[in-house]
Amino acid sequence: MVNKKKRTVQYVLMAVITILVVFPFVWMLLLSFKTNSEILSSPLSLPKSFNLDNYKHAMETLNFPKLYGNTIFVCVISLAAELVITFFSSFVLARMEFKNEKIRKMLYGFLIMGLSISPFILLFPVYKINVFFGLRGKLALIFPYIATSISFNTLLLVGYLKSLPTEIDEAAVIDGCNIWDLMIRVILPMTKPVIATVVIFNVLYIWNEFPFASVMLRDVSDYTLSMGASFFKGTYTVDYGGIVASSVMIIIPELIFYGIFQKNIVEGMTAGAVKG
Amino acid sequence: MHWLSKKKYKIGLMIPTLLVYSVFIMLPIVIAVRYSFTKYSGIGQARFTGLKNYVRLFQDKIFWISLKNTMVMFVLAFVLLLTLSFLIALLLNKRLKAVDFSKALIFSPAIIAPIIVGIIWVYILDPNIGIINNILDAIGAEGLKAKWIGGDKLSPYSIAVIYFWQQLGYLVTIFIAGLKMIPGDVLEAVKIDGASAVQEVRYVIIPMMRTTISTVAVLIITGVFKIFEIVQQTTGGGPNHLSETLVTYSYSMTFSSSDYGYGMSLATVTFLLSLLITAVYTVLTKEREGESYGK
Amino acid sequence: MRNKKLKMFLSAVMVSAMTLGMLTGCSGDGGAKEAEKDDSGATVIKFGIHVANPAEQEAVTNNIVEAFNKANEGKYKVEFEAADTETHSKNMKLKAEDGSLPQIFWIEGSEASEYSEAGVLMDLTDFLTENADIKEALGGMEAAFKDDNGQFGLPYQCNVQGIFYNKEIFDNAKVEYPTDDTTYEEFVEMIKKLKDSGVTPLSIGSKNSAFAMWEFNEFLARYGWEGNIDNIISGKDKFNNKELLACFEKLEGLKDAAAFPENMATIEYFDAKQLFNEGKAAMFGTGQWDCAEFDKNIGDKIGFWWGPKFTDTQSSQEIVMKVPSAPIGVSAAVADDEKLKEGVYEFLKFYYGEDAAKLSYEGSIFPATSYEGIAASDSQYSMNTMIEALGNGWASPQAAPDLTVSSAVQESLYDAIFGVLQGTYKPAEALDKIDAALANSQ
Repeated sequence: MVNKKKRTVQYVLMAVITILVVFPFVWMLLLSFKTNSEILSSPLSLPKSFNLDNYKHAMETLNFPKLYGNTIFVCVISLAAELVITFFSSFVLARMEFKNEKIRKMLYGFLIMGLSISPFILLFPVYKINVFFGLRGKLALIFPYIATSISFNTLLLVGYLKSLPTEIDEAAVIDGCNIWDLMIRVILPMTKPVIATVVIFNVLYIWNEFPFASVMLRDVSDYTLSMGASFFKGTYTVDYGGIVASSVMIIIPELIFYGIFQKNIVEGMTAGAVKG
Repeated sequence: MHWLSKKKYKIGLMIPTLLVYSVFIMLPIVIAVRYSFTKYSGIGQARFTGLKNYVRLFQDKIFWISLKNTMVMFVLAFVLLLTLSFLIALLLNKRLKAVDFSKALIFSPAIIAPIIVGIIWVYILDPNIGIINNILDAIGAEGLKAKWIGGDKLSPYSIAVIYFWQQLGYLVTIFIAGLKMIPGDVLEAVKIDGASAVQEVRYVIIPMMRTTISTVAVLIITGVFKIFEIVQQTTGGGPNHLSETLVTYSYSMTFSSSDYGYGMSLATVTFLLSLLITAVYTVLTKEREGESYGK
Repeated sequence: MRNKKLKMFLSAVMVSAMTLGMLTGCSGDGGAKEAEKDDSGATVIKFGIHVANPAEQEAVTNNIVEAFNKANEGKYKVEFEAADTETHSKNMKLKAEDGSLPQIFWIEGSEASEYSEAGVLMDLTDFLTENADIKEALGGMEAAFKDDNGQFGLPYQCNVQGIFYNKEIFDNAKVEYPTDDTTYEEFVEMIKKLKDSGVTPLSIGSKNSAFAMWEFNEFLARYGWEGNIDNIISGKDKFNNKELLACFEKLEGLKDAAAFPENMATIEYFDAKQLFNEGKAAMFGTGQWDCAEFDKNIGDKIGFWWGPKFTDTQSSQEIVMKVPSAPIGVSAAVADDEKLKEGVYEFLKFYYGEDAAKLSYEGSIFPATSYEGIAASDSQYSMNTMIEALGNGWASPQAAPDLTVSSAVQESLYDAIFGVLQGTYKPAEALDKIDAALANSQ
């Protein structure tokens, strides 16, 4: 009996917590069907009908294909580049011999240090550096995104690559592989799980990133999704319904993506943290 | 293996990473620190002013307010969020029906752009159009109505709550992953010894989860120093900078007030402070671990 | 043989990195680039503007630009680069740095001289000499934007600022309309009565809109701002002086009378205006740029008032606020491109010409220029009430008080005003802040 009571309490707790967390989403969805004056004058009422005007307005104002296009562009380029370079450097740090072990440790420590650097100190200086190199618009975002991923990727990749037995390298060399074959044909396929983690983590980061985007992007045609949300808000400050609808339109695809890859995302994000 | 580790391979393979990292992470810090000793309005030339920005910073009331706000959020998150997510992890680690579904839902805020998190919560906390005050009105509890955001007191607490909402599921999941790593036979052995649930947590689970707890703690420390979009969207740092955090204040000084030199001195201090807290925490936990090994 | 592939790979990485660098490097050195053309071959002139949605938020400028584009089809095309005021100001600073300024752009008044000193603005003296009629039409309004580097900007519009009120709300609350002679004490009584009738007396929002304090420029002016400010900036006097202290105490008095919306800290200027538009607030401080909106929402119930008279000061109370607004400037890079310069001159000629002035009046905006025989129509209620108010013939300062100080001081002036309005600062404390900001900026 006691056990049953305990169970009930546990279920109630679980339900309450879940509802509390989900509520803001539901509330937002409800608001998005209400007209502006309904939101202002009777905030608690339920929407009278499935009024899609707010969504229409959001679609007219925000160029969603462009926002998605820009975000995906930045995401793909940054990810491709960061994976290539950090895989190589992590391979060196994890599997190559150093005459002086101290150098390896120093290099590793140097690359890991970035984990404790808040991006906010970087915003203005990186802007200056971009100006110096003539990097503008979307290009101005790619290098900072690659750079901020290096520490995290190094941590994960080096840890994982180290865990692979050294016999693999020896066998590969005996089979006549050169270093290129070894890295790409032998080791890389084995690294898939951790690469998946890295990809998930960084896609989410880039998808949601705002501070860098707000400093580097100055033309609407370059805006990424998170800038889109703030742009709508800046343009129609008093259109509460429209603001909510445009936000809903940005998070729905994200939530769907999450629904499909839920397991991988949760695993990826926690693996990253637990290893850290 | 020797031939694989030729110097030129190593250098060739390391260089791209080192280059990007040095130019876009390390160099910026040098630049930031350099600008923090200047007066610079964003156009024209920066003028070297020595320690003036730092002197000003220590006399700047708003700096202390934003430091206080950041610390309020930090302490709240460190104490409450850490405990809460640990307790919820214990609950959701039980074999309950629909527990996976619940976990998935609780996790979802963590994947949403923080800027949208800020936008969502305006509609909950705003003193006039937000749902909380309106519910209080509707149930006749006007006395409990408050300026959750935008007043002179509650904003940092409200922002901490929003941050909780955003992070809870993520931290819970990390704790669950940690719990799963505790070998089942250990827990069974404890049960057979007749330990109560509280004892089990206190003497077995917590000691065995030290690394996970540390991880979460470090995530909270670094996370609190990145709370930005939420503040921007809910209060914009106002009224009169009263709800500013260190990062929003340095952002607004840099980019809104075009006081780049001063903004960089704020950024530098913030950066050093977060490094310091992380370092202190790491040293403290290391020492404690050392002690327990000694015993 | 073995490391051939690696070598090839590495050199490929290097080459592509360098090409990327060069490509972007080339596009990055700004200035020397060719003028941009649109599909029809028209030279594109970019106009950086301080609202995110010009068609709605700066309708008149939008109309003028459209008229210009129509008249110059295939030749020139003006395109907006639009962002809200804060973002716009930030963007222009950053763009000045990387050489990608739009050809024409609106400049935050207090920052204009910084741009000028940095040499990123083109001297428009030649333009005015070439177009004597425009110089005459401006009638001295351009003087505020002239320094050793020449005519660095021209007034975007002429700003008439004060307090709009909704007569219907006043009638409902049985409160008399304010007049030129209404004193501060009467104003406070008025606020209390309005508050009791269940409306917000004076709508205002502080989030991201510290600049929205136009009605208080009148307060500052009537406490002798214009006569004192030079002394303060040169260090002979302080912001925390008797006059301004009295002025800030009046601001505090408004707060104590509960004049403002409860959530003024979480709402922006636009939300505050919305309250007024919807009849939930009795008064709203702003300028002529909102006239068209008020005509639409409030119609003939609109009234306009300069603000209260103060009795505890020697300074003249017969001051109104008809001042040059923030300037528009032309990027210095324009001078290097004849074709572009021609286009920009054409546009400025049009912008300050008679047709544009007409468009301006139609949209209830006072243009910076004045031409004979242009007037508002009868249904432009808001503008007509402003014209009526201007009929008292009182003097205007050279520039609005908030535009007479550097951006750092301006920022802290706004901060100080809103601090007192929200009860964060005591009047003296607020003024000390401005003094501190002034000291820091020098």
